[in-house]
Amino acid sequence: MTADEIRAHIDPIRDRFAEERSLVLPALKFAQTEKGWLSGDDIAAVAEAVNLTTAYVESVASFYDRLYLRPTGTRVVSVCVTLSCMLRGSDELMAALCEAEGLGPHGGTAEDGAVTIQEAQCLGYCDRAPCVQVDAEETRGPLSPDDAASLLEELRAAPRPERLWR
Amino acid sequence: MPIANVVYRHREAGAPLTDAGAYERAGGWAGLKRALAEMQPDEVLYAFHRSGLRGRGGAGFPMGRKASFIPKDSALPAYVVCNADESEPGTFKDREIMEMNPFQLLEGILLAGYAVGAARGYIYIRGEYEHQARVLDAALAQAREGGFLGRGILGSSFDFDITLYRGAGAYICGEETGLLESLEGKRGQPRLKPPFPAVAGLYGAPTLINNVETLTSLPPIVDRGPDWYASMGTEKSTGTKVFSISGHVLRPGNYEIVLHETTLRELVYDHAGGFRPGRDFKAAWVGGSSVNVVGPEALDTPLDYESLAAAGTSLGSAGCIVMDDSGSMVHATLRLAHFYRHESCGKCTPCREGTLWLERILRRIADGEGRMEDLDLIDQVAGRIGGRVLCALADTGILPVVSAIHRFRDEFVAAIEEGGAPRPEPMMEVAAHG
Repeated sequence: MTADEIRAHIDPIRDRFAEERSLVLPALKFAQTEKGWLSGDDIAAVAEAVNLTTAYVESVASFYDRLYLRPTGTRVVSVCVTLSCMLRGSDELMAALCEAEGLGPHGGTAEDGAVTIQEAQCLGYCDRAPCVQVDAEETRGPLSPDDAASLLEELRAAPRPERLWR
Repeated sequence: MPIANVVYRHREAGAPLTDAGAYERAGGWAGLKRALAEMQPDEVLYAFHRSGLRGRGGAGFPMGRKASFIPKDSALPAYVVCNADESEPGTFKDREIMEMNPFQLLEGILLAGYAVGAARGYIYIRGEYEHQARVLDAALAQAREGGFLGRGILGSSFDFDITLYRGAGAYICGEETGLLESLEGKRGQPRLKPPFPAVAGLYGAPTLINNVETLTSLPPIVDRGPDWYASMGTEKSTGTKVFSISGHVLRPGNYEIVLHETTLRELVYDHAGGFRPGRDFKAAWVGGSSVNVVGPEALDTPLDYESLAAAGTSLGSAGCIVMDDSGSMVHATLRLAHFYRHESCGKCTPCREGTLWLERILRRIADGEGRMEDLDLIDQVAGRIGGRVLCALADTGILPVVSAIHRFRDEFVAAIEEGGAPRPEPMMEVAAHG
């Protein structure tokens, strides 16, 4: 993404913050919506848009789980594995999702690049455990291991969202 | 044990209150209208204080006292920050407020802002709550349109606006100074305190930070009066509290109850429906995961701050995780140790290294490779974390580990002697939720 596109997104909220630095997270989150992850060029564009150094912006980006500095699948499926979900079968669900994609037990990106499966810490949907989140936009649950294949099929069949909010 | 609807006004209304008109028809904005028309800021502050309301995010600090720490003569403008980074395991109470009753939260932030003399508020919401953030965005737009935000609110001289700020995946940003760092565009690593945020918070200015549920409690307190609020519960545990309950119970969900009126047993068996056939209660992390775990001996404890403290645990965020007797505590404890290791921000060495070691030791016990001296080793490692770190993540993150190896010692000993432990049986057959 270009610095101009990022500026167009953050300029309307510039006056909400006493310090320009606060714009770095909104800028990073928006820059990520194009590809679903942040390349070195994206980091540089964010740095230019918020008047910070590239090294600083990268240090911030590397702190947060939902900012990706390496390529991901088109859709990222986060499987909550914290205690409430574990007691409701999250490990079995995670295993079914990974097995369906031919991935190891801790997930990864499918060969065709359509999905990334990853473990997540408590997503705040413990009443619908075990739950998964697709990107940041949609949280589903409770799901059983039998639902794994249809979820993956559905994500592959769905059109790619215009913006990937992770 | 009856249910109350103070912060869950939408349940009383029987429908989501995501439309400004619907909120008003359900009695919304009455607190703000009363404050702006009839009360000085100090009177509003005094109402917070008299209500006895304690912070609902986990620490339980008296809200009115916290608000009174904001200096009146600061050269810098004061801020109100709403902590909507709900990430404590087992806690999903604020999610429902933001999804279903967002205007009451906005009204609460406005009341807090009026009381402490702030002109700007922020809601810091965890990045994973994107849906809830969109509900709040829509509510903020409606509130602005209706004259509840901006300049000269409801014809008064009070100016206030609220900005929603999305996090990007970090439990530590629920710690108030980690949150402020993140909101300032930095890595979300906690600050050394003092100074506390009330004196030097966001951008170094006086800042009142409160949890979503705390702020959402304010409109009824101002509207119906602090004495009404304080008449519920006990002297030190006033008002209502939402308990999120999850895990091995038949009806996981949110239950807003008057403090002290309900016991843990009633929450687990009556509200949450108890257990599947052939299973019964083994353990509960009543206040979220960052607390001492308790066994059946705690079932008759009334749910309030002082009774839970007397029972050796704490009310915390009231995210009550319940486990039945189908498996060993070893695996559950390991899972929580993994959580704290994963979420440690890395700033303080005792936490960064210590949480790693706690997970590693517990993993070998769970894998059947534990040694009897590991139990003492856990105590030693935990003892070198507690009190030696900047924030509560590890100070309280060691509690579920240390309490488990003492309260359920026989299960850890058995896992070491017998080369492993049975995993809790996941409850996959029941999809009901409350």
